Amino acid sequence: MFVNRIEDFKGNNTLIHFEKVGVTRHRTRILGNVSFDIRPGEKAGLTGPSGSGKSTLLNALMGIFPVNEGRIIFADKVVSSDSIREIRRSVAYIAQEPMLGAETVRDSILLPYGFRVNRAQKPGETRIREMLTQVGLAGDMLDRRVINISGGEKQRVAIARALLLGKKVFLCDEITSALDAESRDIVLGIFQNPAFTMLSVSHDEKWLSACDRRLTVAGGTVTEES
Amino acid sequence: METIHLSEWELAAVYLMLGGPVAMMAWLRMGIVRETVYAVLRMTVQLWLVGIYLTVIFEFNAWWLNALWILAMLVVANFSILRQARLVWRRFFSATFAGTAIATAGVSLFLVFFIIRPSPLYDARYMIPIVGMVLGNCMRGNVLALERFYSGIRENEKEFITYHMLGATLTEAVRPYMQRALRAAAGPLLATIATMGIVSLPGMMTGQILGGSVPVTAIKYQIAIVIAIFSAMIMASVLNLLFSMKIAFDDFGMLKTDIFIQSIKPGPLGQVRE
Repeated sequence: MFVNRIEDFKGNNTLIHFEKVGVTRHRTRILGNVSFDIRPGEKAGLTGPSGSGKSTLLNALMGIFPVNEGRIIFADKVVSSDSIREIRRSVAYIAQEPMLGAETVRDSILLPYGFRVNRAQKPGETRIREMLTQVGLAGDMLDRRVINISGGEKQRVAIARALLLGKKVFLCDEITSALDAESRDIVLGIFQNPAFTMLSVSHDEKWLSACDRRLTVAGGTVTEES
Repeated sequence: METIHLSEWELAAVYLMLGGPVAMMAWLRMGIVRETVYAVLRMTVQLWLVGIYLTVIFEFNAWWLNALWILAMLVVANFSILRQARLVWRRFFSATFAGTAIATAGVSLFLVFFIIRPSPLYDARYMIPIVGMVLGNCMRGNVLALERFYSGIRENEKEFITYHMLGATLTEAVRPYMQRALRAAAGPLLATIATMGIVSLPGMMTGQILGGSVPVTAIKYQIAIVIAIFSAMIMASVLNLLFSMKIAFDDFGMLKTDIFIQSIKPGPLGQVRE
C-alpha cells in the first residue's frame, strides 16, 4: 500500500519535493518558483507573514489548489489527478480547528472506515482507546459530542484518527494558535516521533524551535533559515 | 355530466376576486401590488397562448408535433431549473437535459403507453397534459436537489476536503450532500402526497370532476399522476446530480467555481477551483 511506501524513504531520500512550483489563484500569483525538499522523519516549520502563501503551499501538496508551474513530488509520485488519492491517503491534514465530520468522538474516529478503501482496517474498541491514550486523551471521551470538546482535544482526536489509518506525514496549519501551553506541549510531543514527517505552518516560536528546519514563505517564494 | 362553460364576462368577473388582496397589499404597503398585477397578466396571456397551441396540437394530433412540443417543454424546463439552481446553463445544459428527459419522458410514456393506452397511443389529449404535469411538478424538486447539493459542498468545503483526505472517492465524498439534497427535493412532495385529499383536493382531480368525470375516474388518474410525478422527480434529481458531477468537479475531485451563475466568494480554504 502507498502509505507503507513511506517506510522506504530513509536517510537522505526525499519524501516531499517542490520543484519550481507556482500557484495562481483568481488571477493572482500566490507562489512562484518554490523549491525545497523534505526528507522522511523531518519536521519543517513554515513561517512568514499572513497571506504569503503558507497554507496555499499545503493545499497545493494535497491537490486542493492546482499547481500552475513546476511540480510537486510525493514519495516518488508527481502530484497529479492519477496519484492524488494515494497521496491524500498517506497524508494527514490537521487544521487549527479540525473538521471531525461526525457528532461524537467515536463516530469521528470511525468515519474513514465507512469508505471502501479503509473498510478492512477498521480498528477495535481496545485499539481506539489505546490510540486515544497515546495522544493524551481519556478513553471515555469516545462517547462525548464533538461540539462539547475543546479545540486542542479535537486536534488530538484528528491525530489519533490519522494514526489509526497508518498516516505518518502530517501537514499542520496553525495548530497551536488555539491551544493552551499544556495542550501544545502534548501535541508537540506526539510529533517528536522520528517516524513522523511534518510540514507545519506556524507563528509559534516554541513550536518552530522544535522543528528541524524553518522555511520562510515571503514574496511568493520560500527561503530556508539557517 | 356536462361542464358549465364560463363566458368571457364570467371570466372577467373572476378577476374581481383579486380586488380584496390587492387592496390589502396596498394598505399594508407590501410593495408587491405591481408584481402581482404583472404576474396575473402574464399568467393570463401565457394560458391563452397555451390554449391556442393546444387547440392546434389536439386538432393535428400528429406524433411528430407532440414530440416537438415535449422537446420544447423540456428545453424551457431545463433552462428554468438551471437558472433557479444558480448554475451556468452553458456548462450543464446537456447533462441536466439528459437527466430530466430520461426520467420525465420515461415515466410519462410508460403511463400513457402501458397504463392509459389511448388510441392512437400518441394521442395529444393524454400525452401533452401528462408530460406537462410530470415535468412541471418535477422542476421544483430538481431545482432543490441541484441547488442544495452544490451549495452544500460549497458551504462545507472543509468537511468535503476532510472526506477526501480520509480516503473517500468522489462518489463517497459527495454522498452526504447528495442524501441531504435528495431529502430536500423529496420532502415537500412527500408532505403533499401524505395529506392529499384531506388537506387539499388535487388540481388534476378537481379539474377532471369539473370537466365532467366521475370522482372514481378522477381519483384513479390522480393516483397515477402523483406516482408518476414522484417517480420522475426522484429519478430526474438523481440523474441530474450524477450527470452534472462529471462537469462540476475537476480531476482532483474539487468543485469548480465557474459553474455558478454569480462569481462566488470561495470558502475559508478557497478550495473551489477556478
